[in-house]
Amino acid sequence: MASVDEQETQTQLASAASSEVIIEFDKVNKWYGDFHVLKDIDLVVHKGERIVVCGPSGSGKSTLIRCVNRLEEHQQGTIIVDDMTLDKNLKNIDHIRSEVGMVFQSFNLFPHLTIIENLTLGPIWVRKIPKVEALEAAMLYLERVKIPEQANKYPGQLSGGQQQRVAIARSLCMNPKIMLFDEPTSALDPEMIKEVLDVMVELAATGMTMIVVSHEMGFAKTVADRVMFMDEGEIVEQNEPHEFFNHPQHDRTKLFLSQILHQ
Amino acid sequence: MAVLRAERTPARSAPLSETSVLGWLRKNLFSSWINIILTIVSIYIIYITVTGLWVWGVTDAVWVAKDRRDCFDISIDGACWAGVIVWLDNFFYGRYPRAELWRVNLGGLLLFLWMAPLWLPRVKDKIFIGLTTVFLYPFLAGYFFAGGDKGLFMQVMISLAIVALIGQTLHAIIGVSSGRGLPEYLIRLLGKEEASEARQRHTLLAILAGALVVAFVGQMGWSFVGVSWTKWGGMFLTLVISGIGIASALPLGIILALGRRSKLPVIRVLSTAFIELFRSVPLITVLFMATTMFPLFMPEGFVLNKLVQVIIAVCLFSGCYMAETVRAGLQAIPHGQYEAAHTVGLGYWGTMGLVVMPQALKHMIPNIVGSFIGLLKDTTLVSIIGLFDVLGMLRAVSQDIPWRGLHKEPLIFGAVLFFVICFAMSKYSRHLEVKLSAGDNR
Repeated sequence: MASVDEQETQTQLASAASSEVIIEFDKVNKWYGDFHVLKDIDLVVHKGERIVVCGPSGSGKSTLIRCVNRLEEHQQGTIIVDDMTLDKNLKNIDHIRSEVGMVFQSFNLFPHLTIIENLTLGPIWVRKIPKVEALEAAMLYLERVKIPEQANKYPGQLSGGQQQRVAIARSLCMNPKIMLFDEPTSALDPEMIKEVLDVMVELAATGMTMIVVSHEMGFAKTVADRVMFMDEGEIVEQNEPHEFFNHPQHDRTKLFLSQILHQ
Repeated sequence: MAVLRAERTPARSAPLSETSVLGWLRKNLFSSWINIILTIVSIYIIYITVTGLWVWGVTDAVWVAKDRRDCFDISIDGACWAGVIVWLDNFFYGRYPRAELWRVNLGGLLLFLWMAPLWLPRVKDKIFIGLTTVFLYPFLAGYFFAGGDKGLFMQVMISLAIVALIGQTLHAIIGVSSGRGLPEYLIRLLGKEEASEARQRHTLLAILAGALVVAFVGQMGWSFVGVSWTKWGGMFLTLVISGIGIASALPLGIILALGRRSKLPVIRVLSTAFIELFRSVPLITVLFMATTMFPLFMPEGFVLNKLVQVIIAVCLFSGCYMAETVRAGLQAIPHGQYEAAHTVGLGYWGTMGLVVMPQALKHMIPNIVGSFIGLLKDTTLVSIIGLFDVLGMLRAVSQDIPWRGLHKEPLIFGAVLFFVICFAMSKYSRHLEVKLSAGDNR
């Protein structure tokens, strides 16, 4: 990772974490068929906290954050998001999903809609905001991710980095309380990673609660309040970034860090 | 040591063998001895066929004659188009009373007028126009075709249809000229732009109600002579049956496909069973079932006419085929699209209606049009159960005493007729595909 050294010189963002709890996992277990993906996960996330989750593929880190907005169902334990318990009650789920933004590895923009339509779809149809206001708000967010000039193009006409920034803006248009990022830069060409990370750093500076699954260690060092290492469905180690990278405690963490830092 | 290119290389034009006609001919038709022989033989075969057809169908053909014997007397080797020309009205309208033919033509013209706004630029609310085409036009056209006494229900539907037709035609004209809609225009005309939204809505509703009353009173004094469905026939009947089949296939197919993919087991099993049952049975069997078996299950005294039974059978059959087309289209949409829709807070119907279906339908256009073309051609099977659709009429020519034994010419005419209609549909679908995929190069 060439960007690590470069970003190490950046000052770390001041923490915005408050004492208010916004996400709580209590002894959460999940299986895919026979495969035990999440094992007794306990996790408390405070409002404004920024967490970076790393770990080898198949360690359950994506599944973990997908449980927060119930794209995946867990089988045991309780998950409380924004004071609501995630269970079979469908009304809760729709409400929580509109409060939790999510950015995917593969962008998942709606290819049949223009950029601006991608952004206003949720506000107009879910939040029932009048179209004019939704358009204004959407343009504001497009400016925040620095691509207002692309508003009337289709996703297929944009580069990967631009598409991912649109995806971030699309989530922000719903005024979410929490933002989840599932490997947001893994599908990007190297020269586009920075433009997306810059937008994420700016977002972090606004005090947004963020959980980011990523191997961008430079980003973790600048932004994270806490770095979490997952392996085989467990949270193996979590610490504040400086300690996490400089003095990893667990052997599995040490091994993982040595592997990704020597790529 | 670094190796550098001294200067930029300008682009040069391609060699002549890639771009000239002669180059293309040499590459594709005369590249080897075998290809040269094949090309010459093929050209010879095409020449014989085309000239043979030309001599039979055009130069030696008889265009005017009073019967088939007359045709033979004039030219023994040529086609006898005179019979086709004499029967032309029958091919298109069957035994529909000749004095009332204008009603059929006007009904067809209305459909064109009704759907014209869909193709015009700058017209808003096209979905609404599409819905009235499916749900209101059939009542108006149905009355044009069938005539007779109107029940209260028919009167209401006809009034609604008239108001919709006039309203959306005005809407389209205003839309094309100014980019605005009819409601906005009316509000402006009455000088009520300043009024509150609720007030504006009330004004518009009052205008709508007034228009409905006028239309209702207007249509009361207006009636047509009844024409029994038994007199319907020819291309007209074929288009009525397949038109209704086509219009209902897509909604029915979408419902069945969503049912088949539902998470609720009862709905899934029922949809699957229904689809598989109708798909595994030939259309002709379904038609026979509908006309002979179905009445047996109905209570005594319950009489549905044969045409309605046939139409219902065709609708169900085409709906089931469409369901599988729709399902294939749905499966082509990546799972990430559903997830993204969920994360912006859309529920099941929002996800399906706003994100998944619009994309899936675009992928499905070639298959949808394919099944429409298939349905149009399959509809000719109704001639077997005694309806005189276009195929029935084409074959009836040879039973007519003056033209006894005239098989070839009417059937060739029918083939050309179907080809023209189906080819136009296919071309239009290609055009739609290109138009809808603009900007969608992911």
